[in-house]
Amino acid sequence: MSSTSPEAPALAWRDVRISYAPRLGDTEPVVAVDGVSLAVPRGGTVGIAGESGCGKSTLALSALRLLPRSAKVEGAVEIAGEDLVTMRWGRLRAVRWTEAAIVFQGAMHSLNPVRPVGRQIAEALEVHRTGGAGDDAATAARVAELLALVDLPAGRAKSYPHELSGGQKQRVMIAMALACDPDVIVADEPTTALDVVVQAQVLDVLSGLVRDRGLTLVMISHDLAVLAAVCERIVVMRHGKVVEEGPARQVVGDPQHEHTRELAAAFPVIGDPASRLQVGTRVVSPSDRPSPGSGPGEVPGGALLEVDDLVVDFRARGTRVRAVDHVSMSCGAGEIVALVGQSGSGKTTLARTILGLQPASGGEVRYAGSPLPRDRAGLKAYRRQVQFVLQDPSASLNPKHSVYEAVAEGVRIHRLPGDEEQRVRAALTQAELTPPERYLRAIPQELSGGQRQRVVIAGALALEPGFLVADEPVASLDASVRGEILALLLRLKDDLGLGALVITHDLGLAWNIADRVLVMHRGRIVESGPVEQVLLDPQHEYTRSLLAVVPSELGRR
Amino acid sequence: MSTPTPVRAGSAAAARRRAQTAEVLREFAANRSGVVGLVLLLAVIVLALLTPVLIPIETLDVTRLTAAQNEPPSGTHWLGTDPAGRDVVALLLWGSRISLLVGFAATAVSMVIGTVVGMAAGHFTGWAQAVIMRVIDFFLVIPGLVLAIVLSSVLSRGVWTIIIAIGVTSWAATARIVRSQTLSIEARDYIERSRALGAGDVHILGRHVLPAVLPLVLANTTLTVGSAVIAESTLSFLGLGDPTTISWGSMLKTALDTGAATAGFWWFVLPPGLAIVVVVLSFTLVGRALEAVVNPTLRGR
Repeated sequence: MSSTSPEAPALAWRDVRISYAPRLGDTEPVVAVDGVSLAVPRGGTVGIAGESGCGKSTLALSALRLLPRSAKVEGAVEIAGEDLVTMRWGRLRAVRWTEAAIVFQGAMHSLNPVRPVGRQIAEALEVHRTGGAGDDAATAARVAELLALVDLPAGRAKSYPHELSGGQKQRVMIAMALACDPDVIVADEPTTALDVVVQAQVLDVLSGLVRDRGLTLVMISHDLAVLAAVCERIVVMRHGKVVEEGPARQVVGDPQHEHTRELAAAFPVIGDPASRLQVGTRVVSPSDRPSPGSGPGEVPGGALLEVDDLVVDFRARGTRVRAVDHVSMSCGAGEIVALVGQSGSGKTTLARTILGLQPASGGEVRYAGSPLPRDRAGLKAYRRQVQFVLQDPSASLNPKHSVYEAVAEGVRIHRLPGDEEQRVRAALTQAELTPPERYLRAIPQELSGGQRQRVVIAGALALEPGFLVADEPVASLDASVRGEILALLLRLKDDLGLGALVITHDLGLAWNIADRVLVMHRGRIVESGPVEQVLLDPQHEYTRSLLAVVPSELGRR
Repeated sequence: MSTPTPVRAGSAAAARRRAQTAEVLREFAANRSGVVGLVLLLAVIVLALLTPVLIPIETLDVTRLTAAQNEPPSGTHWLGTDPAGRDVVALLLWGSRISLLVGFAATAVSMVIGTVVGMAAGHFTGWAQAVIMRVIDFFLVIPGLVLAIVLSSVLSRGVWTIIIAIGVTSWAATARIVRSQTLSIEARDYIERSRALGAGDVHILGRHVLPAVLPLVLANTTLTVGSAVIAESTLSFLGLGDPTTISWGSMLKTALDTGAATAGFWWFVLPPGLAIVVVVLSFTLVGRALEAVVNPTLRGR
């Protein structure tokens, strides 16, 4: 390491421009990163924020030269003063993992499912062992040491990935990255697929490591609040360029660039009246706000959808798992109710049971006073009334069907009277895909994520339903699009009087749009009531613990 | 909505389908071996269709023959004559009609059964699925040739018996492929959305599953035609076909029965064998090319 100088930054990009070879049919190369200069000092923590497609992952991968062959890198990427772009292959192999390591997005897919995690951590040690034959005992000791660093017991080394929870898997990934004692860690969306509680644990581990071991951390996320919780500086990227850079508190608290403001607004601060029942810059008229007089459990305007003592059991390998445990709730017409809980709390099962997609083991679902029908014809008629919006709009549209066919699907199934095309156009207009002509012929892959979710919503609206059940409707969407879809749900409530049960793990979303909130924990509803009451004055311990790990709160600790 | 442009959904869908077809053709054209197979196939099919015009059936009437038995190739008989004195080229062309007819018809039978049973096996759950799967397993483990032999000896002799025998014994593999594709399609969210919209089994199978499995079935079809042609030749060679119709298999049987192979009359043995090889190879080439087009992950392998 003769070429490294102590004063050089741990990781630096100097006027880096990365372009991908043009796709089939295009002539212009796709520029992912456009002239980015960024230096991370030793022990520094930098967060890179931006929407998907802004080039942040490409920039991160270039730090270890992990980009595909079709990528062309111009400029210099330096690790401790050494240029990676021109580095020889042998030296690059040595640098990877010993000086800089990466924590990938989606720990579920980055671990080998058929090997114990301890062996996978040891793999990096074996590949980079310098001098002498390996000592199994020493390797095992090192693995145990690494697991301890990420707060996992040494016994976990024998576990297979499927035996670990999402958060534990992500911590194993971090332990792997630490295996060779690197100076720099690049974490690419390390918490994106995790729910809030686990996200807080992983962020704790990361910030603890930075504090105790003087690591240099580059973290990527689309959530400014997550970055603010861990990083000193935040860089905001858009279209491959850096649009804002500064200390974390300043970027989050007083954003200068319009795009930063959009990103910040997408994740509201609970308790901030500016983001209550309004999303982003769209304002809902104050007259629509619910009267604060309605008490907990009381439904204004009478209950439309009622769930009474509902139980849902799953049978898995002989053991019964109770996903929904004696849940009772009700939703009024023209009311948005948020159902909040961690993953695995049974909230999606509850939604599927309400829709008749999952048989109940006990209890009853009533819509407009009559119980959920069990026969086919009755269920079909019921599903005209209660519609479903799924989490991932890219998966919930048939890639071969045009927008017209997707929206008309329900109309055709129910053989609704009148002109089919008229109905489709009306539904698209209601879902704010205007003018509808522009979208009728398009197929899902030609649309953005937000437009796809609008098509799904339009397909539901075409049936003129009385109630919507939306399962994490914005969880897989970009920050700015998230606001648009939530605003659409609010607008539908105001214009059409359409009530909705919105399932989410994001308490900020509940603060944004919901009238009432239900908190679900291990199959039970542990707390319910108007949003202001539950979120600002939580009574149940679990609700408090959820509120404590909301990213905007983490930053304040 | 001030300028309502008349966008009919039907025409929109048709336009996109045309564009997709053009894309498939373009990709197919880029596959050289596929194109070679297709050209050979088309030539064989055109010849088979034109045979009655080119060579009237009367030339094969043994009572009106002028040529001697087992004549070697010459200017008048390009591939010589068979042990009855019939022109081998004429036999080959007339035989191609039966071989291709059996190949296509048996494949059609096999594909229809395989697709319907496969989709049902993937779509339904519980005991219905268990029963269907055991039926598929039954046909999968039964030696196809043996069952075909039994069927064609039990049923009355004729081309259609052979078609049914081959069709009924060769659908199980297709059914399994279709089932696995059905399972993978039905795990997608858009099926869940469709159910939530109120869709029943028929809608889901017809609108979502069938269009998704058809490309696979299509690619599988061309591969199955090849094996059906071989199966037909095998059955005819074993004497289970209709003795009055001429096919490549029955030509080989005649060659064996009359000792043409041992007597060195190569012009009667090689042509039907080579014809089978060429047709089967062409179908395989086309099938593989189609498979690569509809299944992009196979490209470049």
